[in-house]
Amino acid sequence: MLVQFLLTGLALGSIYGLVALGFAVIYKAERVFNFAQGILMVCGAYLAYTATTQLGLPFPVAVIVIIAAAALLGIVIQFLFIRPLSGQPLLPVIMITIALSIILKALIEILYGVQPKPLATSLPTGVLILGDVRLSQLNLTAAVVSWVCMGVFFAFFRFTKAGLLMRATADSHEAAILSGVNVNRINAGAWAIGTILAVIGGVFLGQIQLASTELEHIGLLALPAVVIGGLQSIPGAIVGGILVGVIEQLASGYISPKARDVFIYIPLLIMLLVRPWGLFGNRELGRV
Amino acid sequence: MTSVSTSRTAMPIDEFAPSAPARQKAAARPLRWLWLAVAAAVLVYLPFVLHDRAILGYRLSNIQLLNVGLAQLNLTLIAVLGAVSLNYLTGCAGLVSIGHAAFFAVGAMAAAATGAQLGLPFLVSLVAALIAGAAAGVLAGLPSLRVRGLYFVLSTMALHFIVVFAFSEYQYAAFDVFGISYPQPAIGPFALDSALKWYFFLLPIVVLCCLACNYSLKHREGRALLAVRDNEQAASSSGIDVRVLRLKAFAFSSAIASLAGALQAYYLTTVSTELYSLNLAISFIAMIIIGGMGSIAGGVVGALVWLLLPSVLTGFAGELGAAGGGLAKIFVEHRPQVVNLIFGSLVAVLLIFAPGGIVGAARKLTKLVRPGAEA
Amino acid sequence: MMALNGTPAADTPLLEVRTLSVAYGRKAVALNAVNLTVPKAGVVALLGANGAGKTTLIRTVSGLIRLHNGAITGGEVLLEGKSIAGLSADRIVRLGMGQVPEGRLVFKNLTVEENLQVGGAILPRATLAERLDAVYDLFPRLAERKDQAAGLMSGGEQQMLALGRALAASPRVLLIDELSLGLAPLIVGAIYQQLKKIREHFGTALLIVEQNARLALGICDYAYVLERGEIVLAGPAELVAASERMHESYLGARAERQAAAG
Repeated sequence: MLVQFLLTGLALGSIYGLVALGFAVIYKAERVFNFAQGILMVCGAYLAYTATTQLGLPFPVAVIVIIAAAALLGIVIQFLFIRPLSGQPLLPVIMITIALSIILKALIEILYGVQPKPLATSLPTGVLILGDVRLSQLNLTAAVVSWVCMGVFFAFFRFTKAGLLMRATADSHEAAILSGVNVNRINAGAWAIGTILAVIGGVFLGQIQLASTELEHIGLLALPAVVIGGLQSIPGAIVGGILVGVIEQLASGYISPKARDVFIYIPLLIMLLVRPWGLFGNRELGRV
Repeated sequence: MTSVSTSRTAMPIDEFAPSAPARQKAAARPLRWLWLAVAAAVLVYLPFVLHDRAILGYRLSNIQLLNVGLAQLNLTLIAVLGAVSLNYLTGCAGLVSIGHAAFFAVGAMAAAATGAQLGLPFLVSLVAALIAGAAAGVLAGLPSLRVRGLYFVLSTMALHFIVVFAFSEYQYAAFDVFGISYPQPAIGPFALDSALKWYFFLLPIVVLCCLACNYSLKHREGRALLAVRDNEQAASSSGIDVRVLRLKAFAFSSAIASLAGALQAYYLTTVSTELYSLNLAISFIAMIIIGGMGSIAGGVVGALVWLLLPSVLTGFAGELGAAGGGLAKIFVEHRPQVVNLIFGSLVAVLLIFAPGGIVGAARKLTKLVRPGAEA
Repeated sequence: MMALNGTPAADTPLLEVRTLSVAYGRKAVALNAVNLTVPKAGVVALLGANGAGKTTLIRTVSGLIRLHNGAITGGEVLLEGKSIAGLSADRIVRLGMGQVPEGRLVFKNLTVEENLQVGGAILPRATLAERLDAVYDLFPRLAERKDQAAGLMSGGEQQMLALGRALAASPRVLLIDELSLGLAPLIVGAIYQQLKKIREHFGTALLIVEQNARLALGICDYAYVLERGEIVLAGPAELVAASERMHESYLGARAERQAAAG
């Protein structure tokens, strides 16, 4: 059983890691602690529902449409909600992301109704049996895709000009402006990437479970994941996400599904008290 | 030529504009008492209007009463306690808590243990809720001694999930899946068995709590905490024990929230763990943003808007629905979602255009209309 | 304003500040009808004590003034004859005005090479490599440290990198704010030698804002002295350096005289 839980946890944790990575990108770009990351993930599940079930698009086309829509959503959010508050203290910015999550949730429920929707993509749904261990192909695909996305993500930041400018902006806003970087455009880009990563996670979670706004709760686990990993650290976000996935599986497997939250939020609390900068964070930078 | 050094020091900052001269204040005093008397009269007469659906004998339609009933008013009063206590914390300690719903749960649990399980009198279980709330508040405040800003906000979020888990464990162990049932509250021989009685029980509590918060904000400790919020180092070097003060503020704020939780539980007669969702905690934050952060009036206004706007909207949508508007149809079919959409947008718009909330905007307006008037 | 002999080159100047007034908040006037000109390939120094308005002037010219709650209340700022007042800072940089901000603002987590690449990001890819080579020629030290994280370098090296990064964009005029601040005199001297080379190598015009008048007067052709938001003295470097007023307040003549008297 332990192996089973660990493997499932690893697979789900990879998805959380992806969502958390999106969160970390937004945080690093403009220090926005995005409480709407959970609902952005939910948007992914519903975008998939629209693209496949409602529009009946072939799967590869649907994927492109979903990603393009996610990028657009991120850019619009940055323009409408975040840019007007740029330079404001922490609290109002947190609040506006909370307001954003209320708005998005309401919009989804108005557009799609409150009943959960089943997703029917052409992702494999069989079960892989390896000895005692049963592994859903969907989970496995999710994990693989998550890792590929992370790889693409790192390549983007390491090897492209846009990636370089994003890293520079995250490093110092002022120096970036004075180097002629259009910081607004960079921040919009960060939101586009952050949203795309959340949405990809949402497509998988919507498929593993059902597309519903209840998934927001799972998406919000990206927050403890990122903080446990270290707010400033990109690898930290991924490791934190995987850790949260494994803890979740172990807690719900051995104790009860209800116990999940406590076993994630108690380590978060301990981490905040003992090592607020997280597992991988930098002590100096950790003082927010 | 204007000298830079002198003109810089004279740079005006709106928020710190000099208050009205003292003599003007003195002149305003009798007027102030008049206003207070009017407010008191309205507050006392209001429940009868809502109860009889009539004012001085003239019958009023639902729309004229903004579709508001007495039960909503009572729940609003309870929410005012939640919002005001959260705003007290934000106002004096500069901390915002995403764990405020957790204190409601603590109060409900304390009331369940004392009132429902041990069968102690209603007032005793309210006192138990106050004590439990204060104790929980001190615990919740401990992280604030170590971590700031974002990390503190997260610690309150962690706290929320931990308390909600405890509540559900308690509920399932001591009661059942349907929730915790509370006995009929009574004060000695007087049973609180109607909305009207509840109103007159809640009103003084709310007024008292608001006055207490206001007093604390405006007097020695509150000022000291404000000093801490604005400049931590200066405050600690002036000999104020910041940590004790902050924990006190926490205990005070969460005791009130816990009391509100107990009252809410008794008022609803049955509560279950689902009630204490993160959404409830978020709604308190939304209330203080809408009303205006950091002031008692902001908490009151925010809670009023948050709880009364939905029914007002429902009333108008009902009227419009007859005319057959498409928007009205959406509203009827998705009432809670449309309400949330409006609230979410309201919060966002206020944050961007009026960070002081409704109270802040109103103060700015009065300043524009009557420069020099008391803010 | 006390004008000393001679005005900068007669044709369209590279950078021109015309009767510029700036205020913070509603009242506080920080600059009052300031005129300043930087000719093509010229080196101009802006001198003045702390709080004289130098920072305000440089913020206005570079487009950062709005971020600091200031506003232009009169006059204009022209880059090659076109108004740039009110444009965003990054836009102004892309129009050809390089910036070396106060406090050695480098990207600490990026390598030296990456810092320069960000600086030159506005150039087309083909010319970027060439330009970076030219920057490395000017600052061989940066070439040696190519792959080092900028945050791990010494203060002087970071200042050099900040200069190099601004130069990487091929600016026509470079705004240099308080280069000497917080650096050892020896290092400052070395970097000022590099500034001379910048003009020789690239033909870039320089506007040097400096509290240390002696240093700046050593390399500029023309100098302005700002006091309490107004230009009180302007002229060719040698005349400014020789002026009584300059000696009184900036070049330490008073201290010398006092020492002699005492």
